[in-house]
Order: sequence, then structure tokens, then C-alpha cells
Amino acid sequence: MNSLKFRIKMFQQYKGLIGELVSRDIKLKYRRSFLGYIWSILNPLLVMTVMTVVFSAMFKRNIENYPVYLLAGRMTFDFFTASTNAAMNSVTGNAALMKKTYIPKYVFTVSKVTSALVDFVFTLGALFIVIIVTRSGFYWTMLGLPVVFLQVYLFCLGVGFLLAELNVFFRDIKYIYRAMTTAWMYMTPLFYPIESLPDGLATFIKVFNPMYYYVAEMRDLVLYGRWPGPRIFWGGWFFGILMMAIGLYAFQKNKDRFILYI
Amino acid sequence: MSKNIIDVDHVSIRFNLASEKVNNLKEYTIKMIKHELMFQEFMALDDINLHIKKGESWGLIGTNGSGKSTLLKTITGILKPYEGSVRVRGDIAPMIELGAGFDMELTARENIYLNGSVLGHSKEFMEEHFEEIVDFAGIRNFLDSPIKNYSSGMKARLGFAVATMVNPEILIVDEVLSVGDYQFRKKCNERMEEMLSGGTTLLYVSHNIDSVKQLCDHAMWLDHGHVIMSGPSEEVCDAYNTRQEQLFKLEKKENEEKKVAERKYAYDYLVVGSGLYGAVFAAEAYRAGKRCLVIDKRSQIGGNIFTEQIEDINVHKYGAHIFHTSNETVWKYINRYASFNNFVNSPVAVYKDELYNLPFNMNTFSKLWGVQTPAQAREKIAQQIEECGITQPRNLEEQALSMVGRDVYEKLVKGYTQKQWGRPCTELPSFIIKRLPLRFTYDNNYFNDTYQGVPIGGYTQIVEKMLDGVDLLLDTDYFDYIREHPGTYEKVIFTGPIDAFYEYRFGHLEWRSLRFETEVLPVENYQGNAVVNYTEAEVPYTRVLEHKHFEFGDQPKTVITREYPTEWSAGQEPYYPVNNEKNNALYAQYRALADQEKNVFFGGRLGTYRYMDMDKVIEEALLFAQKELNRRIIDTITGTSDNLEA
Repeated sequence: MNSLKFRIKMFQQYKGLIGELVSRDIKLKYRRSFLGYIWSILNPLLVMTVMTVVFSAMFKRNIENYPVYLLAGRMTFDFFTASTNAAMNSVTGNAALMKKTYIPKYVFTVSKVTSALVDFVFTLGALFIVIIVTRSGFYWTMLGLPVVFLQVYLFCLGVGFLLAELNVFFRDIKYIYRAMTTAWMYMTPLFYPIESLPDGLATFIKVFNPMYYYVAEMRDLVLYGRWPGPRIFWGGWFFGILMMAIGLYAFQKNKDRFILYI
Repeated sequence: MSKNIIDVDHVSIRFNLASEKVNNLKEYTIKMIKHELMFQEFMALDDINLHIKKGESWGLIGTNGSGKSTLLKTITGILKPYEGSVRVRGDIAPMIELGAGFDMELTARENIYLNGSVLGHSKEFMEEHFEEIVDFAGIRNFLDSPIKNYSSGMKARLGFAVATMVNPEILIVDEVLSVGDYQFRKKCNERMEEMLSGGTTLLYVSHNIDSVKQLCDHAMWLDHGHVIMSGPSEEVCDAYNTRQEQLFKLEKKENEEKKVAERKYAYDYLVVGSGLYGAVFAAEAYRAGKRCLVIDKRSQIGGNIFTEQIEDINVHKYGAHIFHTSNETVWKYINRYASFNNFVNSPVAVYKDELYNLPFNMNTFSKLWGVQTPAQAREKIAQQIEECGITQPRNLEEQALSMVGRDVYEKLVKGYTQKQWGRPCTELPSFIIKRLPLRFTYDNNYFNDTYQGVPIGGYTQIVEKMLDGVDLLLDTDYFDYIREHPGTYEKVIFTGPIDAFYEYRFGHLEWRSLRFETEVLPVENYQGNAVVNYTEAEVPYTRVLEHKHFEFGDQPKTVITREYPTEWSAGQEPYYPVNNEKNNALYAQYRALADQEKNVFFGGRLGTYRYMDMDKVIEEALLFAQKELNRRIIDTITGTSDNLEA
């Protein structure tokens, strides 16, 4: 009990640091660029436009409002890859600081994933612009977005902890992970409809791919204006909490040895 | 509960050097297959105990890699102990590196907040102290520039300002103040002292021992993860400094030795014999930066000038040695190695129950004949010489009679000379005594030299000092040494018998030898004089030395030595060369061989088959050293070189 109290106290003390680190990341990301934060919106918009032009020829007939369909999926998956990649280097990248002063090590991982979350929230602006332009319409269900964001955040944090920990001991994890995320992206129905896959594979993805759950929830809330079904909804929570537990466990178990390897 | 603010109990930190290098899967797999993963353990700290009370200031000192920073990191919580426990009761302001966590791209303003939160301060708290920090760091004009544009001193100032903004309960400082200008360092020291007087506990690591002494009341000295010493900072720092100097010297010596090993020969000179000649040469060669090895077959140094302390008396083990010289250079030279007393040699001669002063002077003549004036003495001697009527002396007896007359000869020369040479004077050649000095004054001083004395504390110390820094091997025979260590030296200075060097190929040179019987007597004063000669043939010894009188000693006991002349045969200690025609011719043969040698030089009494007083030996050794080492040694002694210019 004592140690839990101590942890909470430490977290209280260092949550300011998380805030500072997040704001540093965001400040530095667009510092010295002419348009600054606007890029957070502009960038996904441009990418979406390119992809829409490329893929709409292939799938347009099957999918209504393809730009929104594509962007809602892609921004979710981009958050996942961006946050986990940043989290992977969060411990090794702050080696100098960790060797010099005592800071709970999770602070760095949490701040990286949080920075990515802030970016994710910014890209909502791009999504809304697309919705307006394509006259897709706004739904009350969009108020459910924070819940989905929380689920994805938990999931990414869990994966991030695991990767950060592995990367300390095996620096080659980043190359493996890069290949993995590419495969994962194609296994997630981002620019194609899930129905276009063979039945067996579609079922497999629907059940075992956590990212499918989050992408599906996003589209339900934003594009179709309906609440996600219970399987999708509770599945999202399940994977988020499970991953968080695994990641945190692995991270905490080895955190005292980090200093010897970084 | 203890009142300590920091408790470090039996803490060990272990690094695994092997696994530190394994950071990819390939190496991990290879190492795992080879079972090498857990090798190469390295204890950065081994069973460290440190208990610090509130308000104390501790300095950690030690060489690089001794574990100082590791200990600080363990206390700070950066490192977790492998064994043992660390308990800290209070807030720590760690300054292991100033400005740790500064982001070079951010401005100073942003970095202040970031660094503050790195140290665990809230944003409100930082806002409150913002002005204070900016003032202390003195960077107001640059607040909104990215700190990548800052100088290292400015960064250090900012870091120090942020870290010391609060009065932390524990301040940990790791060699951070070495940057920055003097003003800033002064400011930092003032700030730290201010905090210390405010009750802050300080842990300080620095290589600057003076600053540790100044700031800390306690110190701990670490070496390779072990505590060497812990206690009041003065004591620990002084001990540490002393040790560092020792190590520095040792390293210097090792380097020298390494240099020597790289050279062709380990030694420039192999000096055979640690007597006065060898010692003087070795001392000068060492001073000239040459490497010398001195070997001696005896188990002590000094050759025949060796003195040994018995009953607190310096005993002249190889006969009386009284230093006398008229050579100012030599006198000054030998005085660099010892202080000399004002001993004047005034031996007395005992003949039956009569006692006479030596050398033959007015005291002697007065005792013999009751005469008073030099004229009376001269007349008496002239009369005695005339009575003998010798014009062509055929032997030593006749020679002596023709020089000093019967009384002096019978009582003071005959028996003594007979004992010395082991045969009657009538059987000895006349050339042995070329002159018998007669002195027509009442002066008992045996020597006519300007300077005379005996070194206070004996002769051995002189040789010891001369050989300081020179390598020395005792109980080592020359022939054994060169057989076992061929090619370790370039040149040889041989001060042993020259015929021995050539393995007696032309035959043995003859010597006279002596035998000494030394005895400790439980009386304070045995004979009242340092040297007493016994001139009658019936007493088997020629002299008795009472060593304490050389140094005017007042010890409760006394040590005397009886000197017996002995017939010399091969294997006995050689003392006096027998410079007759036969031996001189033999020596000339050896000398001719010696002159052919390029890298062997002969010196001293044994090496040149001459009787020499100590001053002559020193003079010759210095002259040789000057020539061989190509160095003006004499100048350095007196400033002039008149006396020794050959």
C-alpha cells in the first residue's frame, strides 16, 4: 500500500514534467516553420487528398464518402505508429538525462505518447474540414470520440512501454517493428472495405486486430453517425487495458536495469 | 529510528560489462550460446557504508573510476543498489551535471520551466522563483534565445541557478563548478556556503581537494569501489594527497624503468664493488642521468670504509679510517654526504711498560732521552746515527738505523715492522722504508693535511647516500652476475682486484692482510685514545682501536679492535699492495691488458694495485667520472676546478 501511495505521490510530482515535455515536443515540432501548428491539420489533409485521388478509382463504387472513410481510419493508425515509434526511443533517447538525475522513467514514455495524442487531436481539425467539404454531416455520436481516444491512448501507451523496454536491451527492435507496422497497416482496413477480403481473413482481422476495433469505432461515430456495437466497444476497452497491463508490467519489471544499458 | 538524513548500508553496485555491450539480438544469441552473458562482472561499489546526519557536509574524493559518482547516483536514486539499502529522508537537489535536461533548441525561459520540472518542481513554484533565477544566472538579456547559442559558462550558471533556487534538504554536487568564470565560481561557493549554514546537507564530489577541505567537514575516500578512509575532511584529504603523490612518483619510476627496458642495455654502467670509488662514480653517473647497477660480493655496502653500530658506537670494521686531505674540492665533496667532527689522529705507541707519542716528535724524544729543545734532540739522533756507522744499508734494519738511530728504531720501529711483515727487519729489503719522518715540534697530529676528521654517524651513511636511487645487488659475485645476466650493461667499472678480473692468468698479485678481533668491553674507557700501537715484537697485535674515541663517545660500554697482521695467501682479504719489483712488473702486465679494454675501467685500491687514502680515491673517482660522463663535476662542487685539473 505504501509503495502505491509513494508512486502516486511521485506521479503527482512529475506530472508537471510530463506537461513540460509534451509542450516541448509540440513547440519544437513546427518551430521555425512558416505555418506553424497549421501543419498539424494541413499535413493530413494533403496526404488524404493524394490518397483519395489514388485509391478512389479502386474502391469508390463500394464506399460512400471515401475521403472521410480514409481519413478517419488513417489518422487513427497514424497516431498508433507515430506514438509507438516515439515511445520506443523515449528511454534510450533520454539516456543523458536519466544518467544525471533521478526521474521516474515512465515519464518519458508517457510524454511521447501524449505528445502524439495532442497531434491526433489536432488532426481532428482536418477531419472536420473534410466533413464540411464533402457535406458528410455532423452527428451527436461524435461526442463519443474522447472515449475512443482514451482507448487508443491506453493501447498505444501499452505498446509504447513494451517497445521502450525492449529497445533498451535490443536496439534492433526498431527495424523489426518498422516491418511489423507496415504489415499491420495493410492488415487493417484503412483504404479498402473489409468486405473485399476473403471471409476467413476478414474474420481473423475483425477479432484479433486491435486496430480494427478503434478504426471501426471512429468510423461509426464520425462517418455513420451510430454508436459502435457492444463487441467493438468492449473489445476496444479490452485490448487497451490488456496492452497497458502487459506493457507496464514489462517496463516496471526491468526499469532499474535500464541505466546499465543506456 | 536513526536521525541520519542519509543511510547507506552495505551497498554494492555491480555492472555486467559483457551484457552492457550486448544490445542487439545477434550478439545476445551468440553470447547466450557461448554462455558468456554473465561474465565480466565489475563491482563499482563494494559494501559501502555511509551515514550522514542532517547539516553535515561530506566530500567524496578518489581517482577517476573510484566510484564517487556511482555512489552519488545511488543516493540520488538513479542507480539501484545490487545489494544493501539506501535510505534518504529529505528532498534532494541533484547537480550531477548542471543543466541536465536542458533542451538546446528551447529558449532559456522555456528551459527554466523544463529543468524545474525535471527537478520535480511545479509550474506555480517555478513562476514564483522565475525572477530570482534569472537574476542569479545573469541572463536577462538572453531569456528568449535558444540556449544552443549560449556559452558553456552561461549554461552552467543557468543550471546552477535553477538547481539551487530552493533550499533543498540535501544538495548533491558532482564536480560541476569547474566551468564558468571566477566571479561565477565565487558566487556558487557563496551560495553553497549560505545553504550549508542554513542547515542543508551537502554531498560534494571534486578533484579539487582544496575546495573539499573548504566546503566539507567530513570526507570519504573511495578507491575502486572500496572505502579507504572516512572521517574529518582535513585528515582524509591529507592522507589522500600523500597517497596521490606517492603514486605519482611510483608511476614516474615505472615509466623510467619502462624506458630503460626499451633501451639496448638495462644499465649504462655495471659498477663492481660498492666501496668509495664505486660509490662516488655511481653517484655521479646517476646524477648525470645514467643507469647504474652496483654489485658487491659482501653483504654490506662501503667496502673497507664500512662502519657498523655496536653498542651505539660506530665500529670501523676494516681498520681505522680517519679522513684527511689537503684537497679542498674533495673535502667539500665529502662534506655534502656527512658532517665531520674535529677528530685529530694522535696515536700513541706502547713499548713494554713505556708509552710514547706518535709520530716521532719532541714529545717522543723528550720521553726517550729527557731532552727539551729541538737542538738537543737533533744532536742526540745525529749521535746515535753516527754510532751505528752505516753508509750502505743492506736491509731494512740498517736503513732504519741510518735514519733514526738505535733508540727510536729498537723501541718504536723494529718490533712493529717485524710484526707487519712477518719476518725480522734484517730479512726485509731496505726500500720498504724510504723515509721515517721526524718532527721537531711538540705537535702530536699524525697527519699534515689541511682538513681532518671522522664523519659523525660513521662512514656507511656516506655510501648509502651516494647510492640513493642507484640499483644495488649485494652478495653478488661479478663472475656469477655476468654469467647469469649477460648483455644487461654497457660498461663495467671494476673496483675489485685487477688480477681477479683476468682470472690470475699471469699469477697472483701479492698483498698484506690483516685480521681483526673486535670485543665489547663493559668499561667506559679502555685505553683513553682511539689508536694505540704496540711496538714490541712479543705482543701479537700491532694496534688496538677504541672506536668510541673517533667520535668522542660517552657510551657506558666500549668496543675495541685488535689488529693482527697476517701473511696473505690467495683467498684472504687483500689490504695493502706489496709494491715490490716482482709485483709491479706483474701489475704492468695486467695493466697492459686493461688498457686494451674499451668498456671496462679499473679503479680504486684493488683495481689499480696502489695503496690510497680515502681522499685520493675520491679524487680519482671524480676525475674518472668527469672524463667518462663528459661533465664538469668539479665546477659544481667548488665553482673552481684548480685542485682537480689533471
